[in-house]
Amino acid sequence: MLGPTGASPPLGPTTIHVALLLSVAFAVLAGAAGYWGVVRAPELARSPDDAAVIAASRTVPRGQILDRDGTVLASNEADENGELYRVYLSPTISQVIGYASRIYGRAGLERTFDAELTGLAGDPLTDAFAKFGAQRYDPKDLTLSLSHDLQQAAVSALGKRRGAVVMLDPRTGEVLALASTPTYNASRLANPATAAATFEALRDSPAQPLLPRATLGRYVPGSVFKIVTAIAGLGSGAITAETTYTEQPRAERTGLLVEGFRVRDGHHPETGSTALDLIGATEVSCNIWYSLTGLETGGAALVDYAGRMGFGAPLPFDLPTAISQVTNGSGTDPGGFVDDVELANASFGQAETFVTPLQMALVAATVANDGELMRPWLVTALSGAGGKRTIGPESMGRMLSATDARAINEAMVQAVEGPLGRRFTSGAKVSGVTTAGKSGTAELGGSGEPHSWFIGFAPADDPQVVIAVLVEQAGRGGEVAAPIAGRLMTRWLKGGE
Amino acid sequence: MTAQAGRAGTSPAPRSLPRVLGPIRPRARWQELRLLLLVALTLAIGSVSLGTALTGEVGLHDPWGLGIYLAALLGAHGAQVLAGRRTDQILLPAVAMLGGLSLLLMERLPQDLVIQRFFGTSFGLAEVQLIWLVGAITVAATLGIIVRSDSWLRRYKYTWAAVGVGLLLLTFVLGTEINGQRLTLQIGPISGQPSELLKVILVVFLAGYLSENRALLVEQDTRVGPLRLPPLPYLAPMVAMWAIALGIVVVQRDLGAALLFFGVFLALLYAATGRISLVLIGLVLFLLGSAAMANLFEHIRTRIDIWIDPFSDPLGAGYQVIQALHAFARGGLLGMGLGGGLPEIGGRPPIPEIHTDFPLAALGEELGIVGVVAILGIYLVIVQRGLRIGVAAADDYRSLLAIGLALVIGIQAFIIAAGNLKVLPLTGVTLPFISYGGSSLLANAVVVGLLLALSDKGVEPPPLPRPGSRWRRLTRRAAA
Repeated sequence: MLGPTGASPPLGPTTIHVALLLSVAFAVLAGAAGYWGVVRAPELARSPDDAAVIAASRTVPRGQILDRDGTVLASNEADENGELYRVYLSPTISQVIGYASRIYGRAGLERTFDAELTGLAGDPLTDAFAKFGAQRYDPKDLTLSLSHDLQQAAVSALGKRRGAVVMLDPRTGEVLALASTPTYNASRLANPATAAATFEALRDSPAQPLLPRATLGRYVPGSVFKIVTAIAGLGSGAITAETTYTEQPRAERTGLLVEGFRVRDGHHPETGSTALDLIGATEVSCNIWYSLTGLETGGAALVDYAGRMGFGAPLPFDLPTAISQVTNGSGTDPGGFVDDVELANASFGQAETFVTPLQMALVAATVANDGELMRPWLVTALSGAGGKRTIGPESMGRMLSATDARAINEAMVQAVEGPLGRRFTSGAKVSGVTTAGKSGTAELGGSGEPHSWFIGFAPADDPQVVIAVLVEQAGRGGEVAAPIAGRLMTRWLKGGE
Repeated sequence: MTAQAGRAGTSPAPRSLPRVLGPIRPRARWQELRLLLLVALTLAIGSVSLGTALTGEVGLHDPWGLGIYLAALLGAHGAQVLAGRRTDQILLPAVAMLGGLSLLLMERLPQDLVIQRFFGTSFGLAEVQLIWLVGAITVAATLGIIVRSDSWLRRYKYTWAAVGVGLLLLTFVLGTEINGQRLTLQIGPISGQPSELLKVILVVFLAGYLSENRALLVEQDTRVGPLRLPPLPYLAPMVAMWAIALGIVVVQRDLGAALLFFGVFLALLYAATGRISLVLIGLVLFLLGSAAMANLFEHIRTRIDIWIDPFSDPLGAGYQVIQALHAFARGGLLGMGLGGGLPEIGGRPPIPEIHTDFPLAALGEELGIVGVVAILGIYLVIVQRGLRIGVAAADDYRSLLAIGLALVIGIQAFIIAAGNLKVLPLTGVTLPFISYGGSSLLANAVVVGLLLALSDKGVEPPPLPRPGSRWRRLTRRAAA
């Protein structure tokens, strides 16, 4: 009698194969548990979306936020139920610190450092055991590099106009002021009694007070972008500081013809038939010289050098930043330009070029710090019951050689202090200190006043402060933004530390 | 049932065939008892940990609930001892551990997640789950003791298949739709998820079909181009399975059940035939079908989109999946301890549907990766016992039945655990023995009960192949 198992192959081996496959599948699951529970855990467990972070926020006092001088910018008060809410020193810092509201969530540094302020964060190893202790939360106080005095000065310099001021120390990347106007009263958002009405009013306001213009506003840069072109041109070796173009003086009168488009300038009465070099062209903000430099450099190198300074991606910063762009990348020419017309226009900051004020401050900082760009940062120390952790400066890398950086530095000094530069850029000079800078008047096309820009630094021979000023639709950069920059740099260098 | 052996006639009259109501010869089960004591100790420690975390005072969280559960386990153990069965001694403790974790978890979640009224009394989440757990243990132990013959399964495979298809159709016609899925069938006061029962029926049918046609599927070839396939008529059930799996997707909008059914089918097909080509064809068919379904059904497409990038919509579609990942992250290596995790926001647990869809994430937070790996290990132990029972069984039918039943548990646990861990798209299948829900617990109890019965070394021998069966025809041809 034949049994079925007599002729068919035994089931043992195939069953073992199936068992092995299932074991491998389960091993994958164990691996995934390790991935989420260990590798990704620090990031997930500290995210403001984490349920534990949200739950703790109502009962555990948040850490305070202090400025560089120890002034308390954000602290806690208890409502009638004993639940805590935030109060902030002044509206001038709202765009930086943001708010922590029970109803509307978090913004700004309150969002980025939510886990630390709540006291959930730490390193994963000590965290693994901290949860067995009685004190589960260790809220950290944040110390900022920001100066509240300078911040207030920046906000009042902007006045009722919409705009932004970024000031940083080029040697370290420390952000000294990060003002955006209009401001808003974050205390009223954080207070449960006034939150709803305040939020609705802010949301519906056409002035967009909730928008931190310094980091999330994207603007046509105009001539301040020429510094990026100079960096790319010198850095890539396409030009030198002495490069001149024979066609440039001739083109001043009628405009430079690029593929049927005329690049025009407004300074020919002053320079006449002189062929300009980097210094001369920067002093009078020569669109034609910069167009030719951009074309000489090429779209690929221009986008590449801009990218090294942070264009094309969110900046590595403590706050979310909008992405600055040289071009929208829709074209097929190198770098994503549509044609040479776009490249020529982008070279002096028109076309499809959009930047954040913070990004332009980094461009100026690159020149100021002899070609090495320091990562911008705001939070310099976290201190709690477990001690104090300081955060140090960090380099984003060398963007161009010190020699090239000094050449641009010199050109920017000329743009502020040269005989012709003074005429275009009045009021940026810090008295008694060599000041470097570049103004910009960003045409928006159609009607409406241009955006007024200035980027610069001082002292030019030993830069201690970099500034970027943007005033929305306020007119010429040299007339509106430059004086604000001059005042604020003076205040920092002479009135501050 | 035992009449079947007599009717077969050809086998010699059994000498001391144990009867259901025959003489009882108790037989000690020391291994099972030791393991159950270990389970009881572990659960007691868990309960103390939970109680301490929730109240701040050292003590058992819910002595009555735990007591009833442990009593049920002791009862199941005692019944098997008294019945004198020589069945597997590891399955019950393994399942008991998972069920105990389920009880602790349900006790720990907000009780108003589920409110059921029986006879005028309302029961909360843990109480209802306890009732089902006790029921499940009773079912498993009872089946393990009273099932002495497999002919009621073996003989009527097409009848069972018809019952299965009938259930599916009934769900389609009468099922209630919840969250875009039509999983629940309600007839009068009784509601349940037919797919839980369907998976058992599926294995019963497949074991019958494959054990009869194994030899043919293995030995004969049809050449289609470069492919060597079994005789085409024998592929018909495979196509039928494919159609049923897709039918489940259409009817229930449930990718999980379809994945489970088809996965069990392919694994069993491979175990029976050893032919990779069949499995590959099946996989291709399934992927094609799934792609088509994803194009047809918004619900399935959404699930797949969420799987690919839940963070694109963290407060909307991706919320549940992301919150589960956060739970694993909070748990870390060692976990927050029972009762120490799952921070509530406005009195709700952080993950919606945590008791049915995300118990692994909840346990992952409270017991850590260590706990998750231990739970996964227990599932592998159950699978290993089942496969062992299968390989040691007396004939192909019993082998394939046991292997299939073990794979149902293993593959189902994999699918939902993978959904929790974002290894696969999240689907609506339950985590066996842990998820809240009566259908799931009872169906898995049937699986365990049948495995226990199949492991019995004193059970009836399988019936002889019937004259005129395909097997007989084949061997006769081979002889000629």
